[in-house]
Amino acid sequence: MADLEIRDLTVEVQGEEILSGVTLDLDKGKTLALMGPNGSGKSTLAYAIAGHPAYTVTGGSIRFKGDDIAEWTPDERARAGVFLAMQYPVEVPGVSVTNFLRTAVNARRGEELPVRQFMTELKEQMADLHVDQAFLQRSVNEGFSGGEKKRFEILQMAMLTPELAVLDETDSGLDVDALKTVAEGVDRLRGPDLGVLIITHYTRILRYIKPDEVHVMLDGRIVKSGGPELADELEEGGYEEIATVARA
Amino acid sequence: MTTPFDDLSEDFLAARSDAAGEPSWLRDRRAAALKRFLDQAWPDSRNDEYWRSTPFAKRFDVGLPIVTEAGDTATPAGLTTSLDVATALARIVDGELVEATVPAALVERGVVVMDLSAAAETHADLVRTHLGSLTTSDDEGTGGDEDRTITASDAAWTAGVFVYVPDDVELDAPVGIQVHATSPGTHLPRVLIVTGRHSRAVVYLEHSGGGIADGEDADRKTLVDEVVEVVVGESSAVDLVSLQEWSGHVAHLSLQKAAVHRGGTYRHLAVNIGGTTVRIRPEVDLVGEGASCFPLGVYFADEGQWFDMQPYIRHIAPRATSDVLYKGALQGKSRTVFRGNVLVEKDAVGTDTNETNRSLILTDGARADSTPFLEIHCADITAGHGSATGQIDARQLFYLEARGIPREQALRLMVYGFFREVLEKLDLPGVQERTLAHIDREIEAADLSRVGVGRIADVAPGEVA
Repeated sequence: MADLEIRDLTVEVQGEEILSGVTLDLDKGKTLALMGPNGSGKSTLAYAIAGHPAYTVTGGSIRFKGDDIAEWTPDERARAGVFLAMQYPVEVPGVSVTNFLRTAVNARRGEELPVRQFMTELKEQMADLHVDQAFLQRSVNEGFSGGEKKRFEILQMAMLTPELAVLDETDSGLDVDALKTVAEGVDRLRGPDLGVLIITHYTRILRYIKPDEVHVMLDGRIVKSGGPELADELEEGGYEEIATVARA
Repeated sequence: MTTPFDDLSEDFLAARSDAAGEPSWLRDRRAAALKRFLDQAWPDSRNDEYWRSTPFAKRFDVGLPIVTEAGDTATPAGLTTSLDVATALARIVDGELVEATVPAALVERGVVVMDLSAAAETHADLVRTHLGSLTTSDDEGTGGDEDRTITASDAAWTAGVFVYVPDDVELDAPVGIQVHATSPGTHLPRVLIVTGRHSRAVVYLEHSGGGIADGEDADRKTLVDEVVEVVVGESSAVDLVSLQEWSGHVAHLSLQKAAVHRGGTYRHLAVNIGGTTVRIRPEVDLVGEGASCFPLGVYFADEGQWFDMQPYIRHIAPRATSDVLYKGALQGKSRTVFRGNVLVEKDAVGTDTNETNRSLILTDGARADSTPFLEIHCADITAGHGSATGQIDARQLFYLEARGIPREQALRLMVYGFFREVLEKLDLPGVQERTLAHIDREIEAADLSRVGVGRIADVAPGEVA
């Protein structure tokens, strides 16, 4: 059994079916890319895995490390090792980055990490991701630039040491340099204990993070799967070709 | 002799003045105020626009006898006494000032913290000039505030504190004033704070006691009718923190009014946590050019509580600044009223003013009324005001939960975060910690399973699919 095993998953948002039977396996140590045009259901899958309350699972299953987590609260999933790097990180006024991260890290690890040890770890990770120390006093995501928000997502990922990381359009809105920093950050975190699901519209992030498999989603279903070469085909032909074949 | 608040008489005032050995000018003032009192009626919530939101007759019992003595004089554990520094401390218990101590080093520098009745004799010039200067319109104590609850204080205040900080003296520790209720009835505390030029003072005005709201004390009632006057000298900086930490059935009326002279800075923080009804009027007259004031408020209302907050800022002099920021959370059947006023008079050119009120409704059944008013009689000014009432933001909550933070902890972080904006503006010893501890207890007592979260439809605009 794969570490993440999604079977025939159907998901509704405000009564409208967005995912219509998605099946996907992801093992730790592997990186999958999920590609598709806007509106194909990629982000819905990401939110459904993370447990967003607006996304209702109406059929199928999401099994993570053997447990069906579809009914779990988002915090239970996160503590079990699921991490979602969000496309639109949310500003939380008045809650400092330090306080937020420390609370989250303690929750994930199930113990109070000594402050000094936490700060040492945090500062190491910040240096690796080129995140300025001045961030620590700021409120979560408040006034962050697009690139800062994405780097902060990856910083959280580094501190929370997930076993499954879903990166939802982490590459969107980034210039080449910012993309490179973020992608290298993710690449450094890859290893035998982490499965990565990269959700993207474009192929450019895959130049920095080589996926083991590429899946293409269309109209709430996975319509094509293959190796890294599939991304190259998409680069050439775009989604139109696949769509024509799939919808025929 | 017990005199109901409603039945104030010359005899009552004479007995009080005799007991306190008050000079004749003060007796005359009290008598003049009594005359006005007898001509006035208690506020009528149907007709008085400032009382429209809070029913006076229902929330304030004017039949309770005036308490003129002190009950249990043990020192309550307050903010000032929790600090690790030597501070001046004045303690009012019920109807008496039971303690006024000033560290020797401050006495040497001319700092005064003492009984107001005695100060009327020993510091006659200062007290005569300033006492009542913000509640009445002339030296004879005639004219002035139309609100009978204020006139009543002018006439009959029982326990008073006088604080004076001379020119060029900067206090490095707060002055504590405790107003503590141990006996039911009407309490009439009075405070006068005067600061000289280029001085600096921090005053913690702490309100506590009143019995326990439930159980055997349920029938005891306390009405506190309080007036605080603050005269901020030229280029003086004064911070006044008023903590409402009542434990029981206390209905609290408080006018806390300051006049800020040229170049002076006045920061005021009202923390409303306890009491059944608290109606506080933090008012500021910006009388000197370039004066500034920052009225701040933090409130957390729960079941049965009614908080009415009416900051009133008058821009009289040119180029003065005011920035009002009140933030509160509500749960259970509670009610808050914010009625902010900023009045910019015709000579107040270059005024810079802002007024903001935000309320967070945690559970259904709570109601927050908010009306920030702005009345401008002068061109050439910068003004802004805003008000918002909302629930916990569902997107923020999901973001925190998605990082493994359990809901209760996430809500706590968010509520802290909500208040932090206010508390960060006033970094004074112990104030943040104490206020956050109160907030913590309120959250602890809240039924978080009932916390309302913004609608799902608000959750992820543009993120669906």
